[in-house]
Amino acid sequence: MSGPPPDVYPYQPGDPRVPEGDRGSRILAPLRAEGARGVAIAIISSVVVFTAIVVVVVNSSGWPLIKESFFDPEVFAEAFPKILEKFWRNVFIFIVAELLVLVVAMIVAILRSLTGPVFFPLRVMAAAYTDLFRAIPTILVIALLGFGAPALQIKGVPDSDVFWAIVALVLVYSAYVAEVYRAGIESVHPSQVASARALGLSRRKTLRFVVLPQAVRRVIPPLLNDFIGLQKDSALIAFLGYVEGLRQAQIIQFENFDFTPYVALALIYIVITIPQARFVDWLVARDRRRRQVGAAL
Amino acid sequence: MRKLFSILAVAGLLLAACAEDDPTVGETGGAPTGTTGETAATGPTAPATAADCAAANADAFESAGVLTVGTGNPAFPPWWQGGQVDGSEFEFNEPSLGQGYEGAVVAEVTARLGFSFPDQVTFVPLGFNKSFAPGPKDFDFVLQQISYLPERDEAVDFSESYYDVNQALVSTKGSPIAGATTIAELADATLGAPVGTTSLSVIEDVIQPSADPQVYDDLAGAVQDLKAGSIDGIVVDLPSAFFITAVQIPKGVVVGQFEAESQEYFAMAFETGSPLVECVNLALQEMKADGTLDVIHDEWLAGATNAPFLT
Amino acid sequence: MTPDGDAALRIEGLHKSFDGLEVLKGIDLAVDEHEVVGLIGASGSGKSTLLRCVNLLEPIDRGRILIEGEEITARGVDVNRIRQRVGIVFQAFNLFPHMSVLRNVTLGPVEALGLSRDEAEARATELLERFGLSDKRREYPDRLSGGQQQRVAIVRALAMNPDVMLLDEVTSALDPELVAEVLNVIRGLAAAGMTMVIATHEMGFARDITNRVCFLDDGVILEQGPPDRIFTAPRHERTQRFLQGIIDAGRM
Repeated sequence: MSGPPPDVYPYQPGDPRVPEGDRGSRILAPLRAEGARGVAIAIISSVVVFTAIVVVVVNSSGWPLIKESFFDPEVFAEAFPKILEKFWRNVFIFIVAELLVLVVAMIVAILRSLTGPVFFPLRVMAAAYTDLFRAIPTILVIALLGFGAPALQIKGVPDSDVFWAIVALVLVYSAYVAEVYRAGIESVHPSQVASARALGLSRRKTLRFVVLPQAVRRVIPPLLNDFIGLQKDSALIAFLGYVEGLRQAQIIQFENFDFTPYVALALIYIVITIPQARFVDWLVARDRRRRQVGAAL
Repeated sequence: MRKLFSILAVAGLLLAACAEDDPTVGETGGAPTGTTGETAATGPTAPATAADCAAANADAFESAGVLTVGTGNPAFPPWWQGGQVDGSEFEFNEPSLGQGYEGAVVAEVTARLGFSFPDQVTFVPLGFNKSFAPGPKDFDFVLQQISYLPERDEAVDFSESYYDVNQALVSTKGSPIAGATTIAELADATLGAPVGTTSLSVIEDVIQPSADPQVYDDLAGAVQDLKAGSIDGIVVDLPSAFFITAVQIPKGVVVGQFEAESQEYFAMAFETGSPLVECVNLALQEMKADGTLDVIHDEWLAGATNAPFLT
Repeated sequence: MTPDGDAALRIEGLHKSFDGLEVLKGIDLAVDEHEVVGLIGASGSGKSTLLRCVNLLEPIDRGRILIEGEEITARGVDVNRIRQRVGIVFQAFNLFPHMSVLRNVTLGPVEALGLSRDEAEARATELLERFGLSDKRREYPDRLSGGQQQRVAIVRALAMNPDVMLLDEVTSALDPELVAEVLNVIRGLAAAGMTMVIATHEMGFARDITNRVCFLDDGVILEQGPPDRIFTAPRHERTQRFLQGIIDAGRM
């Protein structure tokens, strides 16, 4: 007999599973499956709920004040271009940092997973590193490196805020991401390792061809989580005096005694974050679709 | 059907919550109903003294019979002096001692409003943000070296000036800009300022150096970078400039001060529409007229005025 | 078996414990070239452990294992090289789910044996064709039925040109209708002369293709002999009880 196992339970409306071949998102697909009536109910209920929320908020007594302090169009128009201009600095910082983090964290995770007594010192150092840098608040690491290193005034030590902020962020985030990788590595079934070693593959090749590809694929969503956190933490470089997006928003806030600049910044973050989330969703779905039957489940 | 019912139930709950609005919330210090029936500025007889004004607007105070003043924590010299007091939230200096420039000004204004200092004054520590956050305030006014700016005037009401401030440049001995006498000599300098101060606009609009300015959470970061040599100079108000060169940066020098097109000044910030603005203004006018403000200046900011002008 | 031990596989006095519990209590076994040996016994009798020891997946506590006269349990032996000579197929989770069938089969030859991609693919394609799987070579393992997956696992092990094949209950996790296709593959291997040690519950199959059956009970080989004799006239009482249990369960 060949071919995938038969789908023994035929699909019924209301079944949380979705018929094979329907590649829609988890949210929309069951809806489509319900048919026109389901869609109508969904629309009505959405309209009712959101209208109710808007009505409650807009009619609250403090709303005009909030609108003025947080949603002032004039301040927004002034703030948005200036903040966007400085935001590119954040982009540079978090992209460079993330690329380094992905590599450094992988090295740390591999060091921690090495077995055998000869590797003991490496394992211990890797564990100490992840403990230390998950413990120390990120702002402190940035302050120590960003203020401390240049203060030593040693020749050859860079003075740049951007340099030290990226170093600090890489040190801190690699500790977190290393643990994410480690969880991924440990989630790969031990039989996989046994199968690979049984073929005569060395430990290193087993890691490279069998374990890591599976481990990394599994942890892509949590990796994105940490990356999004890093994108926000890029603002911490402002502590060193460097003017980036959030600091620029703060400057305009203080000039105007108005919080609208933060709303502008939030908008920028929303616009860049949502596509990343959908992209990862797509990556994961594509990988599952390629490999498995019943991927839409 | 069951689904539809539960949706409607949820919506109903939300609408009900909307109706629970307390109608009395939202009046922000409106016209008080004093026994005399007089309202502050629009009454037939404008009050003659600050004390009269305060009495006429007794209901407008945050806490009856007490003046509630907000200021930043820590309370920085030379604006506040006298050291810390145990049991108080304030660090560095205790506002209720009435020492330091702002301390002395508050003490004097309090007296002129008819309150006794410090028994009838409550000091509230405030983050800078809280000074102008929307909605009803839990203080009568705040002062923490806040400069008047027209844009800021939309969010709060300002008193008159209690200090006309010039911005100054601080550097370190041996720095290439330490001996500068003109603004042009600062063209290649990396300068820093604390956030939220008009110092930053002096850098951007007046000095216009080629390097981007560094903007710090507070003076501490700027001082740190100056000491380390990461920046060449700090722009800060003149009194603070003297303070940090005297105390915090051993090799610090005040290079000079800047003249602004329109004189910058510090003012107290009030909730929009507060009738107390006029009372405090009356007090300040009295203090300027009879020289009290000058005395306070000489006592707390002596020596903080002599710096050459950079042109 | 030649007297000076040129057996394809020889196990001498093998002891193995896990956490203080002794699982293998002195196994002696010799397998000739082209011989097919069946291992039967209850769960926990040590069949899987024994096979994993032969492949050096488990370190042994005492004893020796020799493959074609080479002591693989000696110090300083290149473990990877040994494993390339011994093929093993497990009950489940054999294949690498993130690789196509073809890549699964070529990974070992390319990375462990050092073949070129083309050579490895040629070998893989030929093997897959021989076992009727060539139309699946670009598929990913999860798209295959259990029987197809196990057949691919066997092909993957064969692609390494092993001296010995160890099959650890490879049909036990399969739906009944998929068992036959896998057994046929193994039958073909035996017919082609592959030296094999097969741990299995499929008694009928064992009877058909093995040259010798060993009954493993509580860590020792209690009884061994030609399948006909073992299945019809077992000598030990425990062997009889075990086989009776199998018959009662309708599996023989």
